[in-house]
Amino acid sequence: MIEVCIGLLVLWPLAAGLACLGLRSAGPRTGLVLATAAVLAASALVLAAQAPLTANPELLASATALHLARAAAFLFPAVFLFLGLRARHTLVSTVALAQLALAAYGEFGLPAAAAAQNAVVCDGLALALVLVVSLVGPLVCLFALPYMRHHEEHLRLTSSRQPQFFLILLAFLGCMNGLALASDLRLFAAFFEATTLCSFLLIGHDRTEEARQSALRALWLNNLGGVFLHAGCLLIQQRFGLADLHLIASPGLWTGISPLPLALLLIACCIKAAQLPFQGWLIGAMVAPTPVSALLHSSTMVKAGVFLALRLAPALEDTATGRLLALAGALTFLGASALALGQSNAKKILAYSTAANLGLIMACAGVGTPQAIAAGIVLLVLHAVTKGLLFLCVGDLEQASGSRDLEDLRGMLTQTPVSALAASAGALAMILPPLGMLVGKWAALEALGTNPAPVMVLALVLLAVGSALGVVCWVRFSGTILGGRAVGPLVGTHGVQPSAQASSLSTGPILALLAGAVGLGLAAPWLNALLLPPWPGHALSGGWGLLPPLFLIAMLGWVLGLKALSRQSAGPLAAPYLGGLPSRGPGTYVGPLGRNRTLTEGNEYALELFGEPGLTRVAGVLAGVLLLALLAGALS
Amino acid sequence: MKTLALALAGLVLAPLFGGLAAGLDRVLTARLQSRLGPPLLQPFHDAAKLWSKVISPASPWQGLFVRWALTAALASAALFASGADLLLCFFVQAAGASFVALGAFCGSSPYGRLGAQRELFQMLAYEPVLLVALLCLAKAAGGFEASAVLAVNGPLLFKLPLVAPGLIFVVLVKLRKSPFDLAASQHMHQELVRGVYTDYAGRDLALIKIAHWADVAVVLWICALFWATGPVQMLLAGLVTLLLALLIDNISARLTWRVMLKVVAPAALALASANLFWLYLG
Repeated sequence: MIEVCIGLLVLWPLAAGLACLGLRSAGPRTGLVLATAAVLAASALVLAAQAPLTANPELLASATALHLARAAAFLFPAVFLFLGLRARHTLVSTVALAQLALAAYGEFGLPAAAAAQNAVVCDGLALALVLVVSLVGPLVCLFALPYMRHHEEHLRLTSSRQPQFFLILLAFLGCMNGLALASDLRLFAAFFEATTLCSFLLIGHDRTEEARQSALRALWLNNLGGVFLHAGCLLIQQRFGLADLHLIASPGLWTGISPLPLALLLIACCIKAAQLPFQGWLIGAMVAPTPVSALLHSSTMVKAGVFLALRLAPALEDTATGRLLALAGALTFLGASALALGQSNAKKILAYSTAANLGLIMACAGVGTPQAIAAGIVLLVLHAVTKGLLFLCVGDLEQASGSRDLEDLRGMLTQTPVSALAASAGALAMILPPLGMLVGKWAALEALGTNPAPVMVLALVLLAVGSALGVVCWVRFSGTILGGRAVGPLVGTHGVQPSAQASSLSTGPILALLAGAVGLGLAAPWLNALLLPPWPGHALSGGWGLLPPLFLIAMLGWVLGLKALSRQSAGPLAAPYLGGLPSRGPGTYVGPLGRNRTLTEGNEYALELFGEPGLTRVAGVLAGVLLLALLAGALS
Repeated sequence: MKTLALALAGLVLAPLFGGLAAGLDRVLTARLQSRLGPPLLQPFHDAAKLWSKVISPASPWQGLFVRWALTAALASAALFASGADLLLCFFVQAAGASFVALGAFCGSSPYGRLGAQRELFQMLAYEPVLLVALLCLAKAAGGFEASAVLAVNGPLLFKLPLVAPGLIFVVLVKLRKSPFDLAASQHMHQELVRGVYTDYAGRDLALIKIAHWADVAVVLWICALFWATGPVQMLLAGLVTLLLALLIDNISARLTWRVMLKVVAPAALALASANLFWLYLG
């Protein structure tokens, strides 16, 4: 039963994607995506019901599977090399060549590593990622159905490219499931490279020059991550003859030994998770259609990076490598939050905030205590749901308003109330107690705070500032959408024409994710009671004791607030206070010489502090130094 | 049971103390300006009067956010009083501040909207300082619970001397006092009229005032934790902080948010961080 489930989780999306490619019309495609959503959800839930478990399914344990993984170590770099040569992109080709060389050395220069004891070990972390991929991912794919139809209508394509798009979108989910479940490092690396290829194809989908450039940048950066991953794997293979991730993550293995292989793997994680200074590929990925961003940011790709870091975390507890990773993560949390605050492009705000939250998870991984890992897992799950929701909302608002600029999303509450309300609710779910993102941040802060190393002070201060930046960013995001008044006619500033057509396939996933973000956010204590080891004498021990009363208070506030809202919505509204100036109509005032003037407004982005070029440079250099120190410290 | 009683006490006493602090402010400020000023209990009379008025709101969302702000402020007061986790109390308090800003965002007056922008920059300035100050308290007390801080023998101020100036900065911002009364001034002598409060009237204004009182009480209570050797000492510590804030209010002029964000907040944060580092080494 379990083996069938694992097979379905990994292979069904690929099969459904291939079927999409074969049956090119829209009807079967909708059916196939719906079926995928059902199959993945059912399989993941069956797995969740039986977890924690170990299994040896044919798919991931057989000699054939390992042969395939070894072949993939050559195949993917070869494909990347081909892509690099075709695009005449030196960086892509060079990095791919380096990886080919590493693969050749591993195959012919080293004795083969022992196979993993259990091909699949489904613990809390693996299950969390499988659930995220299998529940959030298909919702994004469903949302993509009407979105891509509008998108192609807008681009006026002669032949639809949706079959390829959905093949990659669905196959991506299968790869992520494989990556979450495989405990053999070689299989893991194969799935890791597959996600790099998928992201390249998806980012470049629109085939514009900008998309091509962004895709190539994502390709070489992530391929560089692959090089680090392979180098780390080979060192481990050479030194221990091991390929079992769970054995590698045990702290006993590393006592008194240089942690260089771990450091290499962690750099690979940082690149995949778009940590500073590698955030460029994720920001560039914004050019892709919104479902791609939603998928890359919420349930796939970047989550692979933090997943591996959290997997290795037990080996990092109380090590210099771990502390440096925690510092680098905290710096990304601060730097990316500050970058998000200076942005008015809604998708860029979301992108930088993703990097920031992944930085927080990295910091948890660097601390490496069971509490910190649990906090990291909670953040991983809730970030996926909340960020998926926010991307879908912004995508919907963008198609309705023709712009992705936050300033143009003012007054969208009257145009598309569902996605506007869901967007502001999602923004608040990122920061408000007692919802899960905040609880995760709280647990992360306390896990760092209980670590006695003095260098943790720096990490704590970075997190404190980053946290305030995040709060301000999301309150402004939510306030602008909720409070703003539409000024002037809706004209697209990014050349996108408004085409608002509500569809149950676009509002359905938004509402499901909203329910998930709030529901899971509320369920964080129970989620954590499952994951969290005992934490004696702490407010978070045993199901996070303080939170249930806080829920009651929140519910009380909710009821009181909604009563006030419904009462005041029914009554008349006061005229705006304009300092005593007369007004002839809403949104205007009579200025000097009796002229009618329109009131306009805009947010203060404080670009002198949070401007993108300067801040990127400073934060990038600092983060780069930290990561170099991580490598150098491991070398010595 | 004792925790519940403490929480209830915090729930009732926080707005009461905050209101008294507002009354004291008005009396003292009047005396400093050679006026007679209103009686000490005037803020409570004001709130009662406002409660009796029903005035159309500027936006239907404002009533909602006022009530959420009040809930969060009272919840943080109750949590602090019951000796709960310091960081959680801080986050609940921060949520209350966010709701005030959101309410102002949803208003219709440009003065209120501008106040909301400034409120956000104020949050950006004081929240890290307050969070690091709480981390210092937790480190010095050896536990994240407020009750652990109360259980420490002897005043903590001597272990946390560098945090004190930062905390005065936080108090000035939270009390909406000069030189940091940027988003809303206590009295209507500001270029933004009353900033984030501009759009409120009647019952909603009364509620947001009570929320502000609870907020003030919470911040003063955090200051009092620096000399938590007994209830009287804590009351005195809170009073001294309040008097200091009122004095600074009366002798200083308003600064801009740029000065606050670029000079004052980094300096306060650096001092508090240095203190935290010192605690880690000690």
